[in-house]
Amino acid sequence: MKIPPTLIRVLQRLPEAPPAFAVVAALNLVRRQLWPEEDFAWLEGRTVRLQASDIGCGLSYSFQRGRFVTSTQTPDVIFGASLADYWIIARRQEDPDTLFFQRRLSICGDTELGLQLKNLMDATDFSPLFEKIPQAIRLRFGI
Amino acid sequence: MSAATLPELICPAGSLPALKAAVDHGADAVYLGFKNATNARNFAGLNFTDAQIRSGIDYAQSRGREVLVAINTYAQAGRVKEWHAAIDAAADAGANAVILADLGLLDYAMRVHPQLNRHLSVQGSATNFEAVNLAQDYFGIRRAVLPRVLTLPQVEFVIKNTTVEIEVFGFGSLCVMAEGRCILSSYATGESPNTHGVCSPASHVQWLPQGNTMDTRLNGILIDHFEAGEPAGYPTLCKGRFEVNDATYYALEEPTSLNALSVLPELLRIGVRAIKVEGRQRSPAYTAEVTKTLRAALDAAADARYTVKPAWQQTLSKVSEGHQQTLGAYSRPWR
Repeated sequence: MKIPPTLIRVLQRLPEAPPAFAVVAALNLVRRQLWPEEDFAWLEGRTVRLQASDIGCGLSYSFQRGRFVTSTQTPDVIFGASLADYWIIARRQEDPDTLFFQRRLSICGDTELGLQLKNLMDATDFSPLFEKIPQAIRLRFGI
Repeated sequence: MSAATLPELICPAGSLPALKAAVDHGADAVYLGFKNATNARNFAGLNFTDAQIRSGIDYAQSRGREVLVAINTYAQAGRVKEWHAAIDAAADAGANAVILADLGLLDYAMRVHPQLNRHLSVQGSATNFEAVNLAQDYFGIRRAVLPRVLTLPQVEFVIKNTTVEIEVFGFGSLCVMAEGRCILSSYATGESPNTHGVCSPASHVQWLPQGNTMDTRLNGILIDHFEAGEPAGYPTLCKGRFEVNDATYYALEEPTSLNALSVLPELLRIGVRAIKVEGRQRSPAYTAEVTKTLRAALDAAADARYTVKPAWQQTLSKVSEGHQQTLGAYSRPWR
C-alpha cells in the first residue's frame, strides 16, 4: 500500500510526543486482551525505538511498573523500516525476515530484545482487536 | 497415483498464529517446540508454552491434522530432567509424535510413553538405512528425517531398505548440514545448536549499519559486510564472508535456500512419506505462503503433466534466504 503524501507531510511536521502518547495509550488499552500471559519483564526499563526511515520520524517507548510509557532515553534497540513496510508487517502480508533479507528492515542495538519483540508480534492473535474495527474501515485498509 | 499415497506436508510453527496458518493452508502436520533449549530453535520470544501447545494440538487435531513436537537437541549433563520433562509434557498434551535426536531421549520416550510415536530428527544424522533400522530396532521409531546431504538415488536406496517412514526436506534455508554435529558457532559464542538449541544466539549478534552499508558481528567477530542494497542473510558463521589468501568470499557456503519443487514427482515415485518445510523462526506470513505453495505443488505432483508453476517459484523465491535456490544434494550430476 502507498502511504498518502499528505499524511507523510503531516507526520513529518508533528512533534514526536503526540503519536508516541497515542501508541502507548493504545498498547495499555489492549495489553491484557492481547497478551494475558505476558508480564513484559524483559521490556522493563528498556527503550524500543521504531524509526520510519523514509520520513525521518519515529517513536520511542518503554515499559515501567506494569505500563507502556513513552521514552526519551537512548534506545536499547532501534527498528528501521519505511512506514509502508511497517504497515505490511503489521498486516502479516510479509514475513519480517524476508524484509530483513531484502534490507528493508533493520534491527540495531540489542538484537535479542528486538527478536523478542518481533516474535511477540508474530505470536499475537490480533483478531479480537480487528473485530472491534468497523467493517468499512477494515475493508478499506485490507485488515 | 491417488491422493492417499501423497507424502504428508510437514510445516513449521514458532507460534500459535503460525500453527493456525499452516493448518488453514493445507499442512498435514505441524512441528513445533517448547520455549527452552530442548529444541533447535531456542530463540527469544519464539515457541510455545504448555498451554499454547495444548491449544495448538486441539486446533490441528480437531481438523484432522497432526502436531509433532521437536525435542531435537542433546540433553546436557546435569540437566537431563528438562528434556525428560519436555517429552512428558508433549505426551500429556496429546502430541502425535516427538521428534528426537538424542539416543538417551529416544530410549526414555519409548520406555515411559510407549504409545507416543517417535521420529528420528534430522539432528540424529542418520544418513544410511543401517542407522535408520538400528533406531527402529532399539527405539521403535515410526519415521526418520534424512539429513540434507543425500542425492535422490541415495534417498531411494534408504527407502528400499527400511520399513521406517522416510521424511525429507522440501523447502527452506540451508546450512552447512553437518546435522547434529555442527559446533561451528561454539567457536565464536561458546553455544551451538546441539547444546543450547541455537546457532548464533541473538545475544551475541550485532547488526551495525553505517550509512547504507551494514556489518554483522557475532560476539564481536566481523562475519559479514553488506553493501547498499545487497541482500542480507542470517548471522551464522557458516554463511559469513571471510578473508582467505587475500580474497574475501563465502569461505564455507553462500546463503542459499533449498527448493525441491522440480523433483516432487521423483520424491513421490521413490516413496518418500513426508516432506518437511524449514523455518520455525519465521513469521505466520511465511508459514502461510510456503504451506499454500507446497500444498498446491504436492497436489499437482502426482499428475504426469506436472510442471513447476512460475507463480510458485516467485512466491518461494521472495521468502528465500540468499541469492539463490538450489536442489541441494538431491541433484549431483557429477557423482
